[in-house]
Amino acid sequence: MKDKPEAARNPEPSQTFLPDFCDTRVIVRAIFMSELLALILSLAAWVSGRGFWTSLFMTSMFVQWVTLGNVLLLCLSRTWMRNRSTRMVMSTSYLIILVVTVLVSLGALSLTPGSTRLGPDSLIFVLGNVGISAIVSAVALRYFYVQHQWKSNIQAEARSRIQGLQARIRPHFLFNSMNTIAALTRTDPVLAETAVVDLADLFRASLGQRERVPLSEELKFTRGYINIEKLRLGDRLKVDWEIDETVPESLEVPALVLQPLIENAIYHGIEPQTTGGTVSISMSRNVDMVEFRITNPLPTTLSSYKRTGNKMAQENIRQRLRLAYGEPSVPWMEKTETQYSVSFAIPLESET
Amino acid sequence: MKVLITDDEPPARSRLNNMLAERDGVNVVGEAANGLEAVEKVQKTRPDVVLMDIRMPGMDGLEAARYLSQMEEPPAIIFTTAYSEHALEAFDAHAVAYLVKPIRREHLNAALEKTRKLTKAQLSTLSRETEQTGRTHICARIRGNLELFPVENVIYFQADQKYVTVRHIHGEVLIEDALKNLEQEFAPKLVRIHRNALVNTAYVAGMDKEGPSRFLVKFNKIDDRLEISRRHVAEVRRLLRG
Repeated sequence: MKDKPEAARNPEPSQTFLPDFCDTRVIVRAIFMSELLALILSLAAWVSGRGFWTSLFMTSMFVQWVTLGNVLLLCLSRTWMRNRSTRMVMSTSYLIILVVTVLVSLGALSLTPGSTRLGPDSLIFVLGNVGISAIVSAVALRYFYVQHQWKSNIQAEARSRIQGLQARIRPHFLFNSMNTIAALTRTDPVLAETAVVDLADLFRASLGQRERVPLSEELKFTRGYINIEKLRLGDRLKVDWEIDETVPESLEVPALVLQPLIENAIYHGIEPQTTGGTVSISMSRNVDMVEFRITNPLPTTLSSYKRTGNKMAQENIRQRLRLAYGEPSVPWMEKTETQYSVSFAIPLESET
Repeated sequence: MKVLITDDEPPARSRLNNMLAERDGVNVVGEAANGLEAVEKVQKTRPDVVLMDIRMPGMDGLEAARYLSQMEEPPAIIFTTAYSEHALEAFDAHAVAYLVKPIRREHLNAALEKTRKLTKAQLSTLSRETEQTGRTHICARIRGNLELFPVENVIYFQADQKYVTVRHIHGEVLIEDALKNLEQEFAPKLVRIHRNALVNTAYVAGMDKEGPSRFLVKFNKIDDRLEISRRHVAEVRRLLRG
């Protein structure tokens, strides 16, 4: 089978955990898997002393009818299932499979010459088939579900990586910094040198492969970043640090988790104000978590020009923290008339 | 050639200053840190060219350029920016002069060689762009001078034949903008109360009834009262309640 481009074959992404049963490749795979099941059942029959080939023929007929019936129904119900909850999709498809099994069993009975209608033998035939189908389809559905979860986790991770890179290097910041350095090379070469080194550190961290860095290093990047912004904005930017000394400096934190949030604070809170303001960065210990909080003033004038919010930085941090520590550390925002703050928490025992 | 440098970042200003100092016949007459300062300094120093950063606090470069172009003898404007801005894309078709930072010496020189005033097409793009994001100030021409009033100081606008009267907390002044455009640009801060009047919701203090069906709006800070037309009474009432 040749792979056509993903987009051409499947314009909208499948939103349920079930594979697309209208896709030929999926159908072929389903037929193959059910043939394997028929083979297993026939081998079991052979072991218990019945003819292998007859059994394989009969079982294959039966199993393929059930499979094709299910594929047809699951394909037809695809649009309906698209916007349903996982639980709903799960129980509906399970029900479809069981009903199809019962119907095919009854059909098979009616085709068997001389079978006693609805005798104890035919009851066993139907119940046995439903039992096998119930177990096999439960396993299959579970497999589809797990595989889907795994796939979407991988996708989310890839997405957050890309967004991470994009969010970290705001083009404005890069070009403004370059401009600052260009100016400083003449007026203050020593300061220019520091700025180049700070910028290099920041880019090394941002382009680096390391997921996590010790807190001490993260604070170093952050200070380097703030130094560059201070050169650019002069005394408009004031920064107030409040650091709890009892937090171990070796605590592992996601690399560059602070910088994008501080960049946001400067972009929305300091740059739009002619007089500037103070960004507060606080870090405090709270039982088994370390809480970080970044606060910036909100521009006071009614008509101060609107900065088109770029939610990417915050979204990127949200995804990274969720992937790393789960729900409890996802950032939360507080907004008053004059201030905006964003907080997040990292567990002290980050390895668990 | 007299040049005014406008940028909110001190290093950016100093770099331009250094580059311009190397050129013969160029005289830097001043520096401004935002659009408002630029408009003031242009009127004081009358430069031939303004190097204008686009993103600045308070009043941005586009808005300042819009007001400067209303002067009787407007200076030529060269925009500067760190990164391509949406606004510049709008200008691209009209070939407005702009330089990206860090600015190359030869680009700066080339831009200075062929400075010219903004064309009509550029001006209308400028008006459109600045209205989209909302201006910070209202600009009035008084005896050939530009005077700027922060929008938040405006209490109401009242139209009369050809002009619009701007009543602000320190007095009043005439402008030529159309009431309809002002309403669109500054909604929802400004609310229409009459065919000829827009009020700033921040200053509305209450409503008076005079006679059986005449309603007047009262303001904080001033004693003026403006008539509310019948179809706008409900809206003002809602505003006062909310």
